[in-house]
Formats: sequence, C-alpha cells, structure tokens
Amino acid sequence: MVEKEVTVTNRAGLHTRPASMIVRTASQFKAEFYIHKDGYEINGKSIIGVMTLAAEQGATLMLICDGPDENDAIEALSKIFADGFGEVV
Amino acid sequence: MVSERSSDVDDTKHSSTAENPDASQPHKGIGVSPGIAIGPAYLYARVSFDVEERSVDPEEIQLETARFEKAVQKAERDLHKIIDVTREKLGEDSATIFEAQLLMLRDETVYPEVVRYIENHGINAGYAVQSVMGKHRQLMEASDNEYLRERSNDLLDIQDRIIRHLRRGHILSAVEKETIIIAENLTAADVILFSRRGILGCATDYGGPTSHVSIMARALGLPAVVSMHGITNIIRTGDIVVLDGIKGELVVNPDEDTLAAYRQKQERYARLVQEDKQLVGLPAETLDGHPVQLQANLELQEELELMKENGAKGVGLFRTEMLLLMQGRAIVTEEEQTLLYQKVVESVKPYETTFRILDLGGDKLLPMGHREHNPFLGWRGIRIMLEKKELLVPQLRAILRASSTGPTRILLPMITTIREVRRFKEILEETKAGLRSEGVSFDEDIPVGAMVEVPSVALQADAFAREVDFFSIGTNDLTQYTLAVDRGNDLVADIYDELHPAVLQLIRKTTDAAKMAGIPVSLCGELATNLRAVPVLLGLGVTSLSASPVYLPAIKRVIRAMKMTEGEALADKALALVDAQDFRDSMDKWLEEHACGVSFFLEGAAG
Repeated sequence: MVEKEVTVTNRAGLHTRPASMIVRTASQFKAEFYIHKDGYEINGKSIIGVMTLAAEQGATLMLICDGPDENDAIEALSKIFADGFGEVV
Repeated sequence: MVSERSSDVDDTKHSSTAENPDASQPHKGIGVSPGIAIGPAYLYARVSFDVEERSVDPEEIQLETARFEKAVQKAERDLHKIIDVTREKLGEDSATIFEAQLLMLRDETVYPEVVRYIENHGINAGYAVQSVMGKHRQLMEASDNEYLRERSNDLLDIQDRIIRHLRRGHILSAVEKETIIIAENLTAADVILFSRRGILGCATDYGGPTSHVSIMARALGLPAVVSMHGITNIIRTGDIVVLDGIKGELVVNPDEDTLAAYRQKQERYARLVQEDKQLVGLPAETLDGHPVQLQANLELQEELELMKENGAKGVGLFRTEMLLLMQGRAIVTEEEQTLLYQKVVESVKPYETTFRILDLGGDKLLPMGHREHNPFLGWRGIRIMLEKKELLVPQLRAILRASSTGPTRILLPMITTIREVRRFKEILEETKAGLRSEGVSFDEDIPVGAMVEVPSVALQADAFAREVDFFSIGTNDLTQYTLAVDRGNDLVADIYDELHPAVLQLIRKTTDAAKMAGIPVSLCGELATNLRAVPVLLGLGVTSLSASPVYLPAIKRVIRAMKMTEGEALADKALALVDAQDFRDSMDKWLEEHACGVSFFLEGAAG
C-alpha cells in the first residue's frame, strides 16, 4: 500500500471533468484506490464518490493505492493533480 | 382535459387562463427557432417515475439483477448516441457532462450497491435503483457545495434513464410522433432524442436564445419558444397547441378560426422558406441602391454550414463563451483556440470573422464560486478579462494567430469607460510584440471594436469612435441598462422595450459618431431579428446587421423592399416620439404595405 498527499490546485476544484479524469485514470490500474479527506474515505474509482468529496481549490487529499501496480497508479494519479487537470490554477 | 386543467393550476398568475381555457389568448415567450407547429402537446416532466416496491421470489433474483444490467446497457447506448450528436453539434466540451454520466452508470460504489440491494431485500430492480440513487442524491443535495448540489441532477438523469429502460415502454416511446414537447427545461440531449422521434417543436419554462436547447433547435430546424414562465402549469398532455417560433407564442386549444388562420400562416411560412432559398444569392441592397452588410452570429463551428446556406457575408459576432466547459472553469488552451479560430476564419473568408473576447459574468458562466448580489452591474465582460490576463492573453494570441489566415476582427464586450479600451490596447500591443519576437505572423492592423451595450459608451460615442475601429451595438443589454429593467423578471418585463425612443436615441448617438469618424456600426442583438425594426435601424445609420443565420433571409427580404430614404424618415419620426407604441404601429403599417411577404411575422394568425 502506498500513500501520497496532494493538493487541489485548479480554481474550479474537483468538478465533473476532473472527477472523470481521476476515475478514468484509476480504472486503468489493478490497484484499489481510495481518497481520504477530513477523516472521510471514498472509493476513488467511483465518480459519485469523488464528486461527493466536493474538494475545492486548496483542499488537501490523501491518495491511497493498494495492489500490484500501486506505484504506477499513485504516480499517474498524483501527476494529474499536480497538473491541475489541465485547467486554470 | 379542460376540467382537469383548472384544478391543476395553482399558480395564481395563470389562474385567469385556466378559468377561460378556450380563450385563444397566446402565451408569450421568446421565439428562438422560427416556424409554426400545430399538434397535440406532450408534457415532459422529468420526475415522473415513482417505482412501486415489489418483492421478488428468491429464484428470480438473478433474473432481476440481469434486468438491471440490461437496462444499464441500454442507457449506455442512449448516452453514446447523445455524446456523438452533442459532440458534432455543440463540440467536445459540451459532451463532457454526458461522458461523466456514462461513468456514473457503472459507478464502482453505486452499481454493486444496487445489485446488493436487490439480493438482500429480494426486491425489484427499479425500486432498488430508486432507493440507492436516491440516497446518494440526498447526500449530494445536503452538501454545502452549490456545484455538488447541482450535480445531483446528473444522478437523477441516470436514475430516470435506467428506470425508463426497466419499464420497457420507456418514456420516449410515449413521446409520439408529431407532438409538441412542453417542458420546464430541456437539455440539448433531450432535443436530439426527441427530434429523432419526429416531434414538431418544443416550448420550455426557462432558457434563452443562446441556451443549448435553442441552438440545437435552430440547428435541427425545429420550431421552439423558451422562457415561457409557467407554461408547464397550464398545458396538459393531449391539449392541442399552436407553437409560433416566429413570434414566440403558444396558443392552447385554439378555436377553429384561430386554428385555420395558423394553418394558413404555417403554409405561408413554408412557402417563404422556399422562396428564401432564391434570395441567398441576391445582394442585401435597398431599392435605392444602398448595400447593407448581413452577417451571422455564431457560437459553434458546426453552425458554419448554416451560415453559408443563409447567405451571410461574414460573422458579425462569434461568441467564444461556448469554448469553456459547460461545467467548471476549465481553460481552453491557446493551441485549441487557435485551431478552432483558424478553422472558422478559413471557412468564412473572403468575408471577415469578428471574435468577441470571452464575455463572462452577468447571466453567463460566472467564475467558479463567485457570486454577486447584482451580477449585471458587477464583474463581467472586459472587466473580468482585464484582470485575468491568464485568460485574455492566450485568447488574444489565438485570435492574432488566426488573423494570418483571413480577415479577422476583435470585439470587446461590456465596455464602459475609455480607460478599458486603452488598457486593452496596451495588452494587445504587448501580445503582438511577443508574437513578433517569436516570428509568428498575424495581421498587424487587426481591427478592434467596442460593444455598445452600456449607455455611457453611446453617450460618449465621439470619444470612443476615435479609439476603436468599429462599433457593435448589443441591444439586449443596452435596453436593460437604459430602462433599468431585468427582462427575465416577470414583474417588470413589460417595461423592456428595445424600440423605446430612449434606446433609439442612444443608437443614433452611436451611428452619428461613427459616421463622423468613418467607422462601421453593426447591430448584433435580438432587435436585428425583429423585422419591424429593420427599416428604422438602417435609417438610424446602422451599416451592418448580424443575427442567427436562420433569420437572415427574412431580414434581407425587408431590406430589398425598402428605400433608405424611407428608413431615414421613419428614424426621424421615431426620434421625435416620446412613446414607443405609436411608433411601433407606424412601423408595422409600413412593413405591411411594403414587404408584404414578411408582414405576417408581425401579425397574430387571427389578425
């Protein structure tokens, strides 16, 4: 199991498009994927889960990947956060 | 039908109609796609499925989960279809929301939860879907985050879609051919699916001329009226309705005379559309030889074809807001913008394309999380862009890069003061210098114009005319700001009048200043599609009219039937009046006498 802390950098926060990107990216890996926020955990492969986080710009999230390709998964996922989902930061 | 209706009406504003259901009194809205539709109404209500709880025998539980899977598959097929058409007609960005819905269908949390619910409770799939999705929706609706609350609608969409398919005889099959859809609101997706079922037209409580439903209806040639505030309270499925997308009216259960008159109007309109095809190649020129530039308002590159079919000589207004994602504030990169703008300019040349700088705020996409008490008097248009150089500069670079492809102009929205124009020009020069140093070619003399939509610009038009290369009058906002009226507010909407003498005087101030400075004046508001206004606008000195492509042939017809001297006389008369109604009557009279082919655009069918 690997963990990594990330920050939501894009202005708009985790709205529909970023949420879709996260779920699509996570689904390419076998590893299970969870997101922790304020003591709350959701399945990161569930778009409804990700949207329910209602994470706004500046929010800190903990990404957790668990499975055979967990390192690749966490790297790919933290990268799209770092890129601000290609949006205005 | 009729007796049922009056008991259902709870909105006091409309109770008088319910008491006199046979009065062929038209209900008013905004006509956004021309044409006349006559037929039975179909009231499309989204929350119409309350699924009954039904227990399922243990041996049939597997069958029930299989039914659920099958319904999900069908909903997936629907969504793929919707995504394809949305992409084609509205562009990639607008399809995002449906792509997210596609993911929701097989959501890793929700899908297994529904299956478990069926298995654990021994209950029918529809009820399980409703319970599970209902729970998630409630969670979203309880959120402090407004965006998330709104997104619960997507989940409702998905829920409805699955339940429809579980019911086999799903709602769309109830939408019979040749009905007129009445709904609170429609998405572009609804319009696409309905039009494939051969509906005749649609009317909605909400929406405006640039809503997705309106753009889609025009692209598909489906008569549509929006902003009918409360029409869903009045009409019941099966009522016979006449939908007039030209005047923006709807008549419920018309008497025989009214119906006959509308059928005549329908035939005349069909004939006119045929004749208009021959007008496409003819010049937009008055009888006394004054040419008028007719251009198109566009939102999407997909409308380019429509623009050519209707004989537009260039694009007077390309609204770039559509580039932004319909949700969120995702930026479109300089590269993406350049590609699109180049494509448009390439297709429109040798005529010019006018790109309006992103016009955010007001009633349009507000930057995320930004709310104002008085958005129309707040942070919008150029006021935002001058502060958000990270939005402005990539857009300017993209427009400049496209300008090497063909004639291109830049239009500034919501200009109020000279300072804004000067500040913009500084940024433009910096941007040009950047491109120059990179060796990128562009039009060094790219014209920059100002929207005239705040009265201050019209009043100071002399000063502005020395700073800009052209004016473009936006009559919708100019009227709202001059008469201090929000036309979306039913209580005061009747004060909203684009032909009010005060508004016309501001137009005249603008055209006078432009004439002195030798710059062109275009008018790109809805007023251009109000045919009764065409002669007076030209008489006031407007040199170019820009409108949604489908309206151009009728405008051209009026131009070809008038003399400029007549327009000038009408304009003088208008400016001398104090009350708008007298003037309206005299313009209607002129139009009836001279451009008889289009006069019915003004007349109710009964008249």
